Amino acid sequence: MKEESKENLVCGLCAITSVFAFLLVWYLGCTFTALGKLLPDPITVLIGMWGYIVGTVGKCSLLMHALHSLQRVLIGFLIGSALGISLGLLMGRYRLARAIFNPIFRVIRPIPPIAWIPISIIWFGLGETPKIFLIALAAFANTTLNAMTGAESVDKTVINAAKMLGANEFQIFTTVVIPSAVPSIFAGLQVGISCAWASVVAAEMVKASNGLGWIIQAGMDNNNMTQIISGIIMIGLGGFILTYIMRTIEGVACRWNRSGR
Amino acid sequence: MEQERKMKAGIECINAGKVFVTPEGEHEVVRNLSFATKENEFLVLFGPGQCGKTTIINMIAGFEDVTSGRILADGKKVEKPEPSRGVVFQNIALFPWMTTMGNVEYGLKIRGVKKEQRRAEAQKYIDLVGLSGFENSFPVQLSGGMKQRVGIARAYCNEPEVMLMDEPFGALDAQTRYLMQEELQRIWSAEKRTVIFVTNNIEEALYLADRIIVLTNCPATIKKEYVIDLPRPRNLVSEEFLALRREITGILDSSQED
Ligand SMILES: Nc1ncnc2c1ncn2[C@@H]1O[C@H](COP(=O)(O)OP(=O)(O)O)[C@@H](O)[C@H]1O
Ligand SMILES: [Mg+2]
Repeated sequence: MKEESKENLVCGLCAITSVFAFLLVWYLGCTFTALGKLLPDPITVLIGMWGYIVGTVGKCSLLMHALHSLQRVLIGFLIGSALGISLGLLMGRYRLARAIFNPIFRVIRPIPPIAWIPISIIWFGLGETPKIFLIALAAFANTTLNAMTGAESVDKTVINAAKMLGANEFQIFTTVVIPSAVPSIFAGLQVGISCAWASVVAAEMVKASNGLGWIIQAGMDNNNMTQIISGIIMIGLGGFILTYIMRTIEGVACRWNRSGR
Repeated sequence: MEQERKMKAGIECINAGKVFVTPEGEHEVVRNLSFATKENEFLVLFGPGQCGKTTIINMIAGFEDVTSGRILADGKKVEKPEPSRGVVFQNIALFPWMTTMGNVEYGLKIRGVKKEQRRAEAQKYIDLVGLSGFENSFPVQLSGGMKQRVGIARAYCNEPEVMLMDEPFGALDAQTRYLMQEELQRIWSAEKRTVIFVTNNIEEALYLADRIIVLTNCPATIKKEYVIDLPRPRNLVSEEFLALRREITGILDSSQED
């Protein structure tokens, strides 16, 4: 136990040091080299960001923009991953479902979300719907396969155990196949949430009046480097926080599973 | 009449056989197997590793079809797994995401037994197998012997008429194995059931069995049958015990090398 907390302390110190070292290199680069012409130094950026947080960029504060993006991601992610997981579980357990959906899915999956932007605008116009559609698509594409693998690789004797205890097919699916696929499902959710978060930026950069993607796009239009970098930093932080939350949920949901972190 | 009732209340194999069709060709694993259990009998199927014991259990449980002959349970053809035939698996096969309590009460739960009632019932069997205090542990937190106790409690809690046990202690170390044999003997005496118990360990067979069916190597057929009427609990070093042990080991040696 003591050994472990010591290790955590060392890791924490390393993390802090590396962030400061990065900022320092950035600062020195901007002050003493030509980098300064391309990039504002970190102090300028941080002061600018603080201004955006307490003040406004465009219509609202930087944090509100982040929340707008987050809202789109959460709605899209919930829809996309619910569909993806359901389809994946069915394909993993039932050969017929796989025969029907797998070919279509295999072709749709490699198409990157950006490629759907024109179609989504033609279909859904310029409001919230096309953005949520893109995010849902990203979540869907990344959760289906893992759910399928999870449902497929359920230990056969564990299923036999449920059968001999009297479970019917529906009960086997809900009480055995789904829970034993949970670690695998979370592996997909982990990638899914990152991709969904990445897609919101793409979706907002096309046409939006708020959100982190809009901040970057508007920063480019006004040639405001500080605004662009503030947006980028928020995207990085947001993605980091989302995956962190996801991993915490996974830890609780998979505490029965040694391999689940 | 009495004879018929006894025949009906158990498992009856009639010339049962199993041939697996594999890409490499046909593989006959069980041939012409015929036996019937008696009520509350502890029947041991004793045979060498890989001789087809698990396959026999799987067929009786209803996980696999016979490819020839018939297997009857309560006089009816076995077609699919039923709660009346409880199974304790060689690889234990607990539900890893459920606690001890969750595993043991599973059968009652899916049958819609009310929570309080099934908890009480499950607790009874958890206590019976000596796992009081571990109700909320997950299988990964338990040792091998404890896991198999959960497996036994899970099967028992469902109140099957027949228990099928497939080398339940095969993966345990010798010490734990002795302990578990004693425990099983105690549990079985407390809650009499018809048991079909598979093992490749002669001492285990002699310690537990009312009757031992000795199987040949693959394909499994019946080589010989022994009724063991030594008093229980058995003394592992008594004259009779050792004599039987020598004899049964002898007939196996004469039929195969290892
Ligand atoms: N589903 C299967 N398909 C093909 N061969 C099998 C299958 N199941 C078991 N076997 C073969 O049957 C033989 C007996 O297996 P098993 O019943 O597990 O033996 P035991 O339990 O006595 O060790 C083995 O040679 C094994 O390879
Ligand atoms: Mg076996």
